[in-house]
Amino acid sequence: MQIVADRDRCEGHGLCADTAPDVYDLDDDAVVVVLHPQVPPEFERKAEAGARVCPVAALRVTP
Amino acid sequence: MTLREVVVVGGSIAALTAVETLRMENFDGRITMLSDEELPPYTRVPLSKGVLAGTESIDEVVLAPVAAEVDLRLRTPAIGLDLAAREVHTSAGPVHYDGLVIATGARARRIGTPDQDEWTLRSHEDCARLRNDISRAASVLIVGGGFLGMEIASTCRSLDKQVTVIDIAPPLDRLLGPVVGGFVRTTAEQAGVRIVVADGGVRLLGSPPSAVEQTDGTRLEADLVISAVGDIPNVEWVTGSGIAISDGILIDERCGAAPHVVAAGDVAVMPSGDGALTRIRSWTNAIEQARSAARALLYGDDAPGYRPSHYFWTEQFGLDVKMVGPLDPQGAPDILDGGLDHGAALLAWPDRAAPRQIVALNHHTPPAKLKRLLRGSPAHAPVPAKSAR
Repeated sequence: MQIVADRDRCEGHGLCADTAPDVYDLDDDAVVVVLHPQVPPEFERKAEAGARVCPVAALRVTP
Repeated sequence: MTLREVVVVGGSIAALTAVETLRMENFDGRITMLSDEELPPYTRVPLSKGVLAGTESIDEVVLAPVAAEVDLRLRTPAIGLDLAAREVHTSAGPVHYDGLVIATGARARRIGTPDQDEWTLRSHEDCARLRNDISRAASVLIVGGGFLGMEIASTCRSLDKQVTVIDIAPPLDRLLGPVVGGFVRTTAEQAGVRIVVADGGVRLLGSPPSAVEQTDGTRLEADLVISAVGDIPNVEWVTGSGIAISDGILIDERCGAAPHVVAAGDVAVMPSGDGALTRIRSWTNAIEQARSAARALLYGDDAPGYRPSHYFWTEQFGLDVKMVGPLDPQGAPDILDGGLDHGAALLAWPDRAAPRQIVALNHHTPPAKLKRLLRGSPAHAPVPAKSAR
C-alpha cells in the first residue's frame, strides 16, 4: 500500500495526524508529512482512515 | 448484548467515520450503510471554493472508498425507525440492527415559497448546477453572510462577478466575533464585495429568484440569487419513533439517543457548557463526534464522554482563518503573535493565560497546537481520558 499526499492541496487541518499519528505528521508550516509512503501492513487500516478524514481530499491511498 | 449488526444511516463524513472507527476498533460484525446520495461519501468542503470556481475537478471530492466488506447502499434513504423491533425502514424493506448510528446530516434551509426554484449549495449536484449558472452570470447576490455565503462571495469575486452579500446582521460577526469578523468584512469589501445589512430580512422575488426585497420595499437585483441561510437537520424519518427531537436528534454526553442508538454530525444536538442545546456544524465535529458515537455503541458507559474540540476554519478573500473554542469571541483579544494590521495574527480571548477562543489568521500554527493551547486552558473543563491516542 502506498500513500500519495498532494502537498499543494493540503491546508494543514491535521485530521490525518489526529486519526493516525503513526502514519501522518505535520511539518512546521502545518503541511502533511507522510511518515511511511510505503505503508507497513500493520498500519494499513490507519493509513486509510487518516486519508478519509482529509477535508480537502489531499490524500490518496493506493493498493 | 452482543453487537453483530450495525446500521449506519447517512452517507457523508460522520457516517463514514463511524464505519471507519468500528473497523479500527476491530468490530467484526456486519456493517450496513444507508445513504440517500447518488455518490459514495465525498467532502463538501471544496464545493464553495475550488470546485465552485472550476479550478478543482468535481470528481476529486469523493473520499477514499469504504472497505469492500461494508454494505454501502446508495440511493437508499431511511424512511422510518422502529426502536422496539430494532429496524430501520427503507423503500426496499426493513433493515435489522443491534446497534444504530444516525448520521443523516442536514439539508439547506430555504426562505422562498415552495414553488420558487431557489438556489442553495449543499450537495455535489447543487455545486455542479450552480457553477454552470455562475459562469453565465455577471452579477451574484448572496443571501446570508455566514461562512458558506462569504466563501461563495469570495469565489464569485475571484471569477470577476459583481457580488453583493445581504444579511440581517453584519456578516461573520456571530461566528468570528466583531474583531476578526470586521477584519474579514473589510477585506471582502476591499476585494469589491458590497455588503448590505437588512435587519428586517428579505423576500425572494422571481423563480429562480432574480431579486430580493427588504421590508422597506428596497429591491436589489442580480442575475443569480443564492440562499446561504443555514441548514435543517434531517430528522423527519425518526418522527414518532420515540427518539427525542429538538432541532436535531437529542443526544447525551456519549452521543446516545436511545438504547443501542447513537447519533453524530450535523443532525445531532447536544447540551453545551451553558446548558443551551447546540448543533456543531463542522467537518471536525462530524469526525470527532462520530468516533465517540461509534465507541459508545461498542463500549457503552466505558467509552469516554464526548467533548468537542470546537475547531473550524474558513478560507475567503485570501484569508485563512482557523479557530478553536465556542463561536463569537467578544472584546479585544490578547495578541500572541503578529497582528491583524500585519495580515497575519495569532489571537486569544480573553487572554493568553486562560483562553476561551484562539484564532490563527493567515498564521501557520498547526491546528493540533491550537487545540492543545485551548485544552490546557483553565477556561475549559478537563478532557476525559481517551483511549488509543
